[in-house]
Amino acid sequence: MPVVEVPSRYRIPTQGEGQIEVDARTVRECITAVEARYPGFEELIVDAKGGLHRFVRLFVNGDELARDALDTPVASDDKVAILAAAAGG
Amino acid sequence: MGDASGDRLIRLDMSNQTAIVEPYPEAWKLLGGRALSARILLEECDPSCDPLGPDNILVLAPGVISGTSAPTSGRISVGGKSPLTGGIKEANAGGNPGQDLMKLGYRVVIAKGKPADPERRYAVDITADEVKVIPADEHKGKWNYTLISDLVKTYSKTASFISVGPAGEMQLSGASVACTDADKHRRPARHAGRGGLGAVMGSKGLKYLSVDPNKRAVRKPADGKAFNALSKKYTKEYIAGPGQEPFPKWGTSAIVTEANNLYTFPHKNRVEGRSPDVETLDGMRIVESFEERGGGMHNCMTGCIVKCSNIVHDADGNYKTSALEFETLTLLGSNCGIASWEDVADLDRLCDEIGLDTIETGAAVAVYMDSGGMEFGDASGAKRLLKEIAEGTDLGRAIGNGADAIGRRQKHPRVATLKGQALPAWDPRPLKAAGVTYCTSPMGADHTAGLVVDPGQAQEDIAQASQESQILNTAIDASGFCQFLMLNLEEIGQFYSYFLGESVTREQIADIAWQCMQDEWEFNRRAGFGPKDDEMPECMKQDAIGPAKFVWDVPSDVVAAAYKRFEARDELFTQRPS
Repeated sequence: MPVVEVPSRYRIPTQGEGQIEVDARTVRECITAVEARYPGFEELIVDAKGGLHRFVRLFVNGDELARDALDTPVASDDKVAILAAAAGG
Repeated sequence: MGDASGDRLIRLDMSNQTAIVEPYPEAWKLLGGRALSARILLEECDPSCDPLGPDNILVLAPGVISGTSAPTSGRISVGGKSPLTGGIKEANAGGNPGQDLMKLGYRVVIAKGKPADPERRYAVDITADEVKVIPADEHKGKWNYTLISDLVKTYSKTASFISVGPAGEMQLSGASVACTDADKHRRPARHAGRGGLGAVMGSKGLKYLSVDPNKRAVRKPADGKAFNALSKKYTKEYIAGPGQEPFPKWGTSAIVTEANNLYTFPHKNRVEGRSPDVETLDGMRIVESFEERGGGMHNCMTGCIVKCSNIVHDADGNYKTSALEFETLTLLGSNCGIASWEDVADLDRLCDEIGLDTIETGAAVAVYMDSGGMEFGDASGAKRLLKEIAEGTDLGRAIGNGADAIGRRQKHPRVATLKGQALPAWDPRPLKAAGVTYCTSPMGADHTAGLVVDPGQAQEDIAQASQESQILNTAIDASGFCQFLMLNLEEIGQFYSYFLGESVTREQIADIAWQCMQDEWEFNRRAGFGPKDDEMPECMKQDAIGPAKFVWDVPSDVVAAAYKRFEARDELFTQRPS
């Protein structure tokens, strides 16, 4: 099953879990599957319109995913990594 | 060695309005900005002095690399004993005065004394040939924009300015020091805001300083070839990397939604971690306004490649303010229940005009609202309140003196301050390591002293994370680089080495920063600070936010661990600011 790698910043809803196996066929389904197990996770990654939040970047097996490509298929051994891009202010 | 060998310093005695130029001591060669300010204050200022008395010292210290061709390197530190915290304080700002001073070879301005007549106002004119104190009574009481607009008519086109508004003249504890922007208007929009250092400048009768580098070129590094190659390499990497991210592209205000998601967008005097008005306060609304109204992103200092500063126009297309930052949108917006970014823009302009820290002022207005003095969300009332500060009413002075002062006046207990200074937007309840910084930093609750945005950290990691961030940020604030350029200690050491023509290792840079913090802790100890001053306020322990019920629950021994230096690990030298 694909694995979602959650950075420390977004692990409050996942109760500290950083590697989460999910049953999913696309990147979007990966996020939804984590949400189903850990409510409150999805809103950190995806905005109300279903797009990626502007400070979030996704990588599949190390390659950055285009911001409009959440429906990209994933294979059973894929790793979906999340990067929180910035802070400051 | 480069042209640093002829460096000088300026000593002002405002008791008799004299200026002396001296050679810059060799012993301070590696010190600049915050580290230089700390050393001077520890060596020359009595920590028990009255912050607004003649014995306090106002330090204006550009960073070591300021005035060179390195990107985004011209920041200036303002230092002194704070009337807000009662301890040592450094706040820094962009704009051009820092690099203009350094182009002239002036590494620091040290101002002591105060005029016998508190009604008098003075200015200091700084050029390559002369430093002189002149009368400036005709500028008494002027708001910052009016002052600078008058000054640019009479000074050279190459001059930049450092000034205080009415809040500084009234010596209010929330007063800021303004520096002028790089652009042709030279607007007083860059503020060394925190800690009330504008009041220290005002107490010395100083209304403004002008710095005219005329046609002086940038400072020459000892190894110009290597220095320029490093500057070009880093610029290229920054533009291709961090410079591509949304934050440099849209400014700090665009992080509102991320902060809200993490429960660190305080609402209504911090009783909530999220705001229902996140959409209307999101900095992307400001970005969207550019197309119709004009304005846009710009660099606040010559040679900046970050360009995170927005210029905000009103509905008629006229300039309103710059820069409208995340912290301001939080403290004067969400924290006051004010929903419109345009109202916050008005409040930001008022703060810049009167010369006030937007964080302290926003926190103070929120405390006033929470105490029943005004309804949350009353934007018109908040603007009226800020104008009262300039008018010097009793209520206005209490607001202008900060959150603690208005809390005492209103007898209201929910006041989120530490060492007398209001907490910034980044909330210590979800962000524990940032909280350790607020508790232990000599600066008090100041996110620029060591921000860590990581609510998922394990408790055993937070003291070291805070300490490493404090060391990095101190090093950056000593260098003159902007934190948003995101240099690490290794890279700062390389810039120092090529500029000075001698090896300065990343370990030395870390040691300089740690020594600075030790100087500051020692100053505070002599000023009477103890463990009780590291206590997070009760409201942070009691008012839970978010579904996880975040409160400040970090044991004091975990906090205190940040005072003892951890063994350096590689992450210390390679990490970049949060």
